Amino acid sequence: MAHEEILSELKQRREKALGMGGPDKLAKRVNQGHLNARERIDVLLDKGSYLESGLFATSHRPEVADRTPADGKIAGTGSIDGRLAAVVSNDFTVLGASSSVVNGKKIRQMREISTKQGMPLIFLGESAGARMPDRMGAAGRAILGQDPTEYQRERQAPWVTALLGDCYGSSTWYACMSDFVVMRKGATMAVASERVTSMAINQPVDAEELGGWRLHTENTGLVDVAVSTDEEALATIKTFLSYLPSHHAELPPVWAVSPESDAACQRILDVIPDDRTQVYDVRKVASCIVDANSLFELKGRFGKSITTALARINGQSVGVIANNPMFKGGAIDVDACEKATSFLVLCDSFNLPIVFLVDQPGFMIGLEGEKRRAPSKIINWMNALSLVTVPKISVIMRKSYGQAYLNMGGGRNSDAVVLWPTADLGFMAPEVAVNVLHGVKRGEPKFEELLDQVNRDSSAWNLAALHEAQYLIDPRETREVLKHLLRIHSVKLGRRIGAHKLANWPTSY
Amino acid sequence: MSKITIKSEVTGSIWKVLVQEGAAVKEDDVLILVESMKMEIPVMATDSGRVTQLIVNEGDPVSEGDPVVIIESD
Repeated sequence: MAHEEILSELKQRREKALGMGGPDKLAKRVNQGHLNARERIDVLLDKGSYLESGLFATSHRPEVADRTPADGKIAGTGSIDGRLAAVVSNDFTVLGASSSVVNGKKIRQMREISTKQGMPLIFLGESAGARMPDRMGAAGRAILGQDPTEYQRERQAPWVTALLGDCYGSSTWYACMSDFVVMRKGATMAVASERVTSMAINQPVDAEELGGWRLHTENTGLVDVAVSTDEEALATIKTFLSYLPSHHAELPPVWAVSPESDAACQRILDVIPDDRTQVYDVRKVASCIVDANSLFELKGRFGKSITTALARINGQSVGVIANNPMFKGGAIDVDACEKATSFLVLCDSFNLPIVFLVDQPGFMIGLEGEKRRAPSKIINWMNALSLVTVPKISVIMRKSYGQAYLNMGGGRNSDAVVLWPTADLGFMAPEVAVNVLHGVKRGEPKFEELLDQVNRDSSAWNLAALHEAQYLIDPRETREVLKHLLRIHSVKLGRRIGAHKLANWPTSY
Repeated sequence: MSKITIKSEVTGSIWKVLVQEGAAVKEDDVLILVESMKMEIPVMATDSGRVTQLIVNEGDPVSEGDPVVIIESD
């Protein structure tokens, strides 16, 4: 009978903890069309795979212990597509999922499991910030800073954040430490809430302007993908993780190749205009080269003159860095530099070979770029590129001018350089080069002769003759050539895992 | 519905204006081609809606960030 009694108490306590912030608050979420913190875990993880940690944890303060089930941050482990993962899901119905002494311990446990065992940490963000009055006064200070490794990131395993509501405090910090961030439109990410911000600066603040999806996908680049629903956000996390290994000491999973993949590359010439003055969307070119339907773009609305995307070639995960002439003619601006550098860090940390698709007229020059420290961004990128130890293959499709030739993997900055016959390796646009070198403009004597000279000198044939590019191919052969080169440059005497010299570089620049 | 200002991302000159005032447009539709760096660089709609004002004419010079079209979004 004693067993029965204690088990009945267990049952009752479980039900109470699983009740979260109570039926009223949960009903309100249903009306808003948002999943609650537990439903999110159910949708994210494989059915039946979840084991919760700290279900009976509550606030350590007696006056609120009774109304803080799971202390507002639900944590546990399970699997996604059969691979292990650690999850923290913020329960906004419990004191706004505010950060406390006890739930901080729950986060720490999941972080340690992720980094020590080697599995992704997924943070489902929706939190109000520090819990009050816990954090007030000197006693509140004594709560903080008990874990000096809290904000330490060494990329032993991938971290992912979904921003699924009001995100202040820990949800924001974890997003900014993550390798991938997805945001539901309507959610907000900021240092402090609109209310607090508005009081601090003594003027009205609009939440969307303060930290909405447009700001973070277009201006800050802190969010990779914006979606419309919680369900889409969770599905996007699964897609992202499907390209990555569970931890830095293993290779990414290899997936089956859909049979139509090889045929697409035969249509690649349809995407590239004959006329050199016309632009095209490089994402369509990349889609012809990689496995069918495998192109997954990161930061698609930020620094758009460079496309960064995860993809697969012959089932193997790769990172694609491609100039996109569709935006700014492919001229690389400060945002595009930051985006390329952060993507190099991601690829190198998780053993993803890098494929460059090059068609760029140089770095975007001008006052705005200089004010935003363009030179340092360009060299940050070069430093990162020189430290990368995963395979790097560069395909020069059309233009590759100036210093950016090196940033895009030219010369010895790649393991192999592939040229299309349409490649043009000038130091700037040929017409401008004639003016800069000889002071001769179009219409003046000798212009055509000098233009011919500049054009000839910068041809693909000349670069190949110097063996600065090792392969000069028909664009339709690109996929087959990349398959081969990725195999060759992945052998590495059997040590296929990289040195991860960028593992502690920041997640934003 | 809100008023969206579409800006040129590059400095150059207006090569072609491809829409008229009143036209319905979808997100990513090409509205204008700017000639810059010897290329025809598209200015695209950031939202779906209706063109309420064309701020530039063919041949006009534009600087990076200059407004070129106003759209009333759906």
